[in-house]
Amino acid sequence: MEIDRVDGRTPNQLRPLACSRNILHRPHGSASWSQGDTKVLAAVYGPKAGTKKNENAEKACFEVIWKPKTGQIGKVEKECEMILKRTIQSICVLTVNPNTTTSVIIQVVHDDGSLLPCAINAACAALVDAGIPMKHLAVAICCCLADNGYVVLDPNKLEEKKMSAFAYLVFPNTTLSVLPEGSSVAEGEPVEHGIITSVTHGVMSVDDYFLCVENGHAATASLSAFFRKNFQQSQRDSSKAG
Amino acid sequence: MEGRFANLWRLTVNESKFVESALQSELRVDGRGLYDYRKLTIKFGKEYGSSEVQLGQTHVMGFVTAQLVQPYKDRPNEGSFSIFTEYSPMADPSFEPGHPGESAVELGRIIDRALRESRAVDTESLCVLAGKLVWSVRIDLHILDNGGNLVDAANIAALAALMTYRRPDCTVGGESSQEVIIHPPEEREPLPLIIHHLPIAFTFGFFNKGSILVMDPTYVEEAVMCGRMTVTVNANGDICAIQKPGEEGVNQSVVLHCLRLASSRAAATTKIIREAVEAYNRERSSQKVKRHHTLAKSEVSGPIVVVRKRQQQKKSSGQEKAAEIHFWLWLWWLIVTFWR
Repeated sequence: MEIDRVDGRTPNQLRPLACSRNILHRPHGSASWSQGDTKVLAAVYGPKAGTKKNENAEKACFEVIWKPKTGQIGKVEKECEMILKRTIQSICVLTVNPNTTTSVIIQVVHDDGSLLPCAINAACAALVDAGIPMKHLAVAICCCLADNGYVVLDPNKLEEKKMSAFAYLVFPNTTLSVLPEGSSVAEGEPVEHGIITSVTHGVMSVDDYFLCVENGHAATASLSAFFRKNFQQSQRDSSKAG
Repeated sequence: MEGRFANLWRLTVNESKFVESALQSELRVDGRGLYDYRKLTIKFGKEYGSSEVQLGQTHVMGFVTAQLVQPYKDRPNEGSFSIFTEYSPMADPSFEPGHPGESAVELGRIIDRALRESRAVDTESLCVLAGKLVWSVRIDLHILDNGGNLVDAANIAALAALMTYRRPDCTVGGESSQEVIIHPPEEREPLPLIIHHLPIAFTFGFFNKGSILVMDPTYVEEAVMCGRMTVTVNANGDICAIQKPGEEGVNQSVVLHCLRLASSRAAATTKIIREAVEAYNRERSSQKVKRHHTLAKSEVSGPIVVVRKRQQQKKSSGQEKAAEIHFWLWLWWLIVTFWR
């Protein structure tokens, strides 16, 4: 039994992605990421001296500021800041610049569903633009569960409201290996797998959750390919101009 | 906390001397003339009432929303509007998150005064039920990139957002005509706000004890200048507001010269804003026509994800095992039967 989505997508189809980097002049790194109509702007100010009071001074510290479109900053925004901060801490190399604070500022431009994954992707692109050392990228996707047990990827706002449960999942990006398939376990450090961050809303059974994870993991391949293509293209453009 | 102060951007003595001595010969660091403005681009977002303005490197976004509230006691027939300015830490490393600083409050007050006192936005048309319910319009200005001259850019963003905002249509009905029904945009077309005129702000920077005058200063020039003044005029030649917050004293003739410069530019800037708004309205109405034809199915072309099905394999292996057991049982029965 197939699901009919309002905009005619299949359950496994994502909305059109768009990413542009280096759009602001004062911040050290900036990026805007849009999935369909959801658009988020991220800016990074590179390592500043000193860490906050309760932070470990032997490691680099990250500070996230989330700015909603209208209204005061409340608990929802604070929760998003905390999730984003922990996600960024796990993907960045913290030992390179100890005793520094890097600020990431997120501005919501338009919210049409799947806002937190969009913000995580924008923050990663902005960190790459600023040149902050990272182990790998974090690729975020929203999977939701329809009433009949089907998993639907990248819902918009109306679909999110109708669904019984949904989950925001963040995975490390898939690597592009030059070596043949058999030698993926070879020398060097092991490649990370698994979920970096998972935030769920609503009630779902264990099997349904694992189905969501499986579908979300399969989506990271196409998102990673988009990231890679976008970065390589902008590098080619800047080398032509320079 | 001392670590924070170590990170504030400060202009070096060499840079400030360079800017000042260049201005002595009427040269600006970015090559503009003394009274030239940077390039102005106005873009609009998906929703009604969202605008994005770029003035050179300065980047400002404006959002307009409205809700029904009780009116003020002394003005029962008029709606209200309020301006909220957010100096985002994105714009400048010295902007702190949390409550707005002095310059954010000043910026909000300049724009608010120009719109309110000159009655640019018609508040009487925002009244729904006299004394009970009126529309309260809220304008949020987000400063994204501080390249200098935030007041002018924020003012244009607020005007552009107000001109493209549409509020929901509502009718008064019910038993005693005290109930208000708000119609969603699918039922009835939302209505635009009534704006009588456009007050445009022009900022001037003074250098060298008030003898050199510059329009649209960049953030480097703002750090060097010794005084500033903002003049808000409209295309009809009316002065809506003047703001000169202390600092260096300036001769009266210079102030009059500023007013003349501002009024001569007001018509051109008004035209740019109106043209951008009209182009946006035309595009919006043509999109609506397309939607009627194609039954609301947009041409979405996102990536399709392939998920390999692992569950079916598990089921088939179970069935295979059962079939195998059946076969051996049947063979054994066959042997036993034919053995006799």
